[in-house]
Amino acid sequence: MIITKKALPRRTFLRGLQATLALPLLDAMIPAATALAKTAAKPVPRLGYVFIPMGCHHDKWIPEGQGRLGQLSPSLSPLEPVRDQLTVVTNLELEMSYPGTHDTSNSGFLSAAFAKHTESSDYHLGTTADQLAAKQIGQDTQLPSLELCMDLDPLAGVCNNGYACVYQNSLSWSSPTAPLPSEAHPRMVFERLFGEGGTPEERRAALQNRASLLDSFSADVQQLKAKLTAGDRTRVDQYLDSIREVERQIQRAEHGAMTNPEPDMDRPTGVPVSFADHARLMFDLQALALQGDLTRVITFQLTRELNNRTYPEIGVPDPHHPTSHHGNDPEKLEKIAKINTYHVSFFSEFLQKLAATPDGDGSLLDHTVYLYGSGIGNPSIHDHENLPILVAGGAGCGMKGGQHIRYAEQTPLANLHLTLLDRVGVHLESFGDSNAKVENLFDEVTV
Amino acid sequence: MPIRKTALSLAITTCVVGPVAAQEASTSHRQLLDRYCVTCHNDRLETAGLSLENIDVGNPREHAEVWEKVVRKLRTGTMPPPNRTPPPVEDSFALRTWLESNLDAVAETQPFAGRTESLRRLNRTEYQNAVRDLLALDIDGGALLPPDEAGHGFDNVNVGDLSPALLDRYISAAQRVSRLAVGTTLTSVQSDVIRLPADVTQEDHMEGLPIGTRGGVVVPYTFAQNGEYDIQIRLARNREGRVGGLRQPEDHTLELLIDRERVELFTIEKPPEEDDHALVDAHLRTRIEVTAGPHDVGVTFFKRTASLLETERQPLQSHFNETRHPRQTPAVYEISIAGPYNATGAADTPSRRRLFVCEPTETNQSLDENCAEQILMTVMRRAYRRPVSEDELNGPMGFFREGQAEGDFDAGIGKALSAVLMSPSFLFRVESDPEEIVDGGAAYRISDLELASRLSFFLWSSIPDDELLDAAIRGVLSDSDELERQTRRMLADSRSFNLASNFAGQWLRLRNLEAVTPNARLYPDFDDNLRQAFRAETEMFFDSVLREDRSVVDLLSADYTFLNERLAKHYGIPNIYGSRFRRVSLDPGSKRGGLLRHGSILSVTSYATRTSPVIRGVWVLDNIFGAPPPPPLPNVPSLEENAVAANLPMRERLAAHRTNAVCASCHRTIDPVGFALENFDAIGRWREHEGDNGLMDASGGLPGVGDFVGVAGLEEGLLSRPDLFVGTLTEKLLTFALGRGIEFYDAPAIRKIVRDVEFEEYRFSSVILGIVNSVPFQMRNST
Repeated sequence: MIITKKALPRRTFLRGLQATLALPLLDAMIPAATALAKTAAKPVPRLGYVFIPMGCHHDKWIPEGQGRLGQLSPSLSPLEPVRDQLTVVTNLELEMSYPGTHDTSNSGFLSAAFAKHTESSDYHLGTTADQLAAKQIGQDTQLPSLELCMDLDPLAGVCNNGYACVYQNSLSWSSPTAPLPSEAHPRMVFERLFGEGGTPEERRAALQNRASLLDSFSADVQQLKAKLTAGDRTRVDQYLDSIREVERQIQRAEHGAMTNPEPDMDRPTGVPVSFADHARLMFDLQALALQGDLTRVITFQLTRELNNRTYPEIGVPDPHHPTSHHGNDPEKLEKIAKINTYHVSFFSEFLQKLAATPDGDGSLLDHTVYLYGSGIGNPSIHDHENLPILVAGGAGCGMKGGQHIRYAEQTPLANLHLTLLDRVGVHLESFGDSNAKVENLFDEVTV
Repeated sequence: MPIRKTALSLAITTCVVGPVAAQEASTSHRQLLDRYCVTCHNDRLETAGLSLENIDVGNPREHAEVWEKVVRKLRTGTMPPPNRTPPPVEDSFALRTWLESNLDAVAETQPFAGRTESLRRLNRTEYQNAVRDLLALDIDGGALLPPDEAGHGFDNVNVGDLSPALLDRYISAAQRVSRLAVGTTLTSVQSDVIRLPADVTQEDHMEGLPIGTRGGVVVPYTFAQNGEYDIQIRLARNREGRVGGLRQPEDHTLELLIDRERVELFTIEKPPEEDDHALVDAHLRTRIEVTAGPHDVGVTFFKRTASLLETERQPLQSHFNETRHPRQTPAVYEISIAGPYNATGAADTPSRRRLFVCEPTETNQSLDENCAEQILMTVMRRAYRRPVSEDELNGPMGFFREGQAEGDFDAGIGKALSAVLMSPSFLFRVESDPEEIVDGGAAYRISDLELASRLSFFLWSSIPDDELLDAAIRGVLSDSDELERQTRRMLADSRSFNLASNFAGQWLRLRNLEAVTPNARLYPDFDDNLRQAFRAETEMFFDSVLREDRSVVDLLSADYTFLNERLAKHYGIPNIYGSRFRRVSLDPGSKRGGLLRHGSILSVTSYATRTSPVIRGVWVLDNIFGAPPPPPLPNVPSLEENAVAANLPMRERLAAHRTNAVCASCHRTIDPVGFALENFDAIGRWREHEGDNGLMDASGGLPGVGDFVGVAGLEEGLLSRPDLFVGTLTEKLLTFALGRGIEFYDAPAIRKIVRDVEFEEYRFSSVILGIVNSVPFQMRNST
């Protein structure tokens, strides 16, 4: 990969702004001094995906014109601070998703695959883009991928239109028959990332404790080996290989704990009551995971399809789903736009956070590409055309940014997946129903 | 071990003695083979990779592996196949007994015990049980260790490996277990989340919770220290993010209990119609003071006065799915426990009572070192299942001193304990050849200590207790009277429930129940409550046959079972009320009784949308009858569901199995066994009809037994050959007991057990003792 070195004065500006940008939780989570001290030699590309349900109000979503990104549309206006790292892609579709269904909006978003119509456990979809990426770029990190959501309890039984609930629960599928669960509980996520043990000191002590337990085990195994027959010794040699591998892992973790200690915060114990706090916390956890290089692939279901969450804090006291069947009622359309803007604002805060976090020769945002969008276009009829889709970040990996790619005709969303996968080294002929790559998303650089 | 020579085996022994008789016999056996077997099993065709053309039947010991195959086919009547002429019964019997008696005679004089693996790590269940018995500490093995791969049907077979991931998890487990056992003050806030399956119905009383409550859950939980803990409860939501079951305007009352004592009451109010439900359960959190050690944490709702639930649809017992059968009242989704805050250590817990065999002074270093040595010596002896030398104390004592220097005496013990739990002597079961072996490859008697571990891991899936270990150390365990006494003592102990939960759970495939999710449209009345009831019935039933020392054939023909209200309603058995399971006597005409009538087994052998006579047939042939059919041929497509009309009776849909010659070679045997169970639907309900296709035709058959109708006929057919069922059960128990696959050289040992237990009316204890006294259990071949 060739890293293009661009001068991005905005980033310097943002870095100065960090304190004011920081949310209460973020503030405690990222120790600024240590973040700055991190001097990883070679940045790695990371991929993230954020899913929103039930489409958008297109008039308020799609910016004017095409090519260079001009005036941001009302729904995208929160993204103003990161507009030069933002590409809006218009007129993408999910042709494999069944018209009018919520389930296949979710299931098609990352798979671009046909969801077998069944209520039973014989469900069948396709391996999702994030999981293909994880197989390529997720193997050297603690977690190959991280799957997050906001709705705590997975649905059971039959969901909608005779589709099994897994289609609506799981964005990520590691194979056509293996949906991955996602986690909404911040503490569970935290523990997956940082393990038990609270403070960095405790964590380091715990790692040293592990190392000495391993030493003791290793010594005992060596002694045991002497008592065994030749055939059984081969087996013990395999154990010794495992011991060395775990030793390496502990060393890596210790190194990580030294150079990039986990956040100096009380581990989250409960689930924040308000949607905003919960969403921010989940985004903060993603920033931490990326910053610590604990994972390089993340999917996040910002809310589930068919959700009836209300957003009184932004003047939408009505449940999302019935509102989304707007029937062109201006009042309902306005409320959909408000929800769209609200969701985008959390994404923008997160992107700014990444932009303010140094990483190698640039920022974390420079080395991270996020795809944000929905599997439904017009929520009133739940179609899967003209999807709201954004791509952000990646300036350090050749992403152009500041663009509006506007297709004249409906074009498979799978083309975008194919293009992003290609950029992280998964070179496929095609993905889902793709028929080309997305041109002009990245600089023409040799990968 | 008392050897019972039976009339039959004596007769057989005499008939193989004389050389003239042997010669005559071998001539007639050769004729039988040539006439009935060699048509297919000849050197040219080698059907199924077997030729009997030029193999000397006069000297079976030369090709024991081949002849054991022949014996099995003859015993189960699966060869010759149904479309070929069978040999006269008496000739076939004569051949079989000739072969068996020869093979058994060899085994008697030259025992071959096979070789269990020298290094076998504790699997997840064994680890959990060992920690329970070592430290009086209940842990959730599933949360600490990954699942084990099964081999030969059991997850204690492929346990020679130790991947990096697994090693890593063992380290974490050792740290966590020692922290919980000691309750050291050096730990920070920990947290656990307890989640209920999404398909649990919570409309009625749940077992273990107070009368007058409904729904919720009670879980055993070990609190690490005395201190304050945050407990937060969240309610189950539907797919729209709303709390399910808030149908009535009335409030609901949620109760938090510790050891059945109320510690907090919460009120749940229904928000206005269009409101967000985010705040409905936000206030369900509290901070309470709890003492260290195990407690039962319960969360449940007050039950309202019973009134008939109003529903537009068929009344169902399951309520969890918004679309089909919504919750009528709110339900618990998860409980999270975080703490301790303001911790003050652990004073008196079952774990500490077991671990701390002496008390430190905290002032006199040398006295405290002695105390630490005592503590560690005691725990190491139990953990390592053998005497421990002074030298071996050095390692753990090093950890003790380090921990003590960092904190206090307890911290030292905690650190040393985690080292003990990471010792290969604890984590691995080691069986090694004795040094004095001269005759390489010969079978030798395993040591008393190895025997003690084999026995405890067989019966309890855990470490030996002190009494068993003492007997082994004294060197008296191999004495047959002592061994029998110990075995009976261990069977009487409650830990032998392990044979029901762990052995039967795998033998009968009960573990697969967790993955059973019948189609919600076709079987809307299935929920987790039913799933768990299925499992409970079979485990309790198996355990009762074991504990009451009944004949093992009662497993197939009992006139009682175990039911609670949920299961009884499912079975259509009246007058059983409440969530508690109890023993229920069944009328002679009842549709329930033996294992083949259990909902658990009937549903794990079905598809999500329908029954599968094929799966059920294979299951019975493999696990009950002892004639596992060969695996499906490669390149044969499965019966396309769409190619045959789905509304036809199952028997007609499977007709191709019998008309197509390739399919028929196996399915002629498999399908009729499954057809006999067709009166039970895919979730084990009795049915007389199959859809609109009139009366169910449940006629079936078993190889070598004949034709019959229905489950009663199948049971009768199986019971007419108790040797086959008992032999199969013995084989499965032996696999589990040894932790290795059964090979042809084990067959004489199994036959001997089956012969012997017939005279004990197949009592369960006699089968267990037969295994414990068998050559493969007591011996091992050296390399």
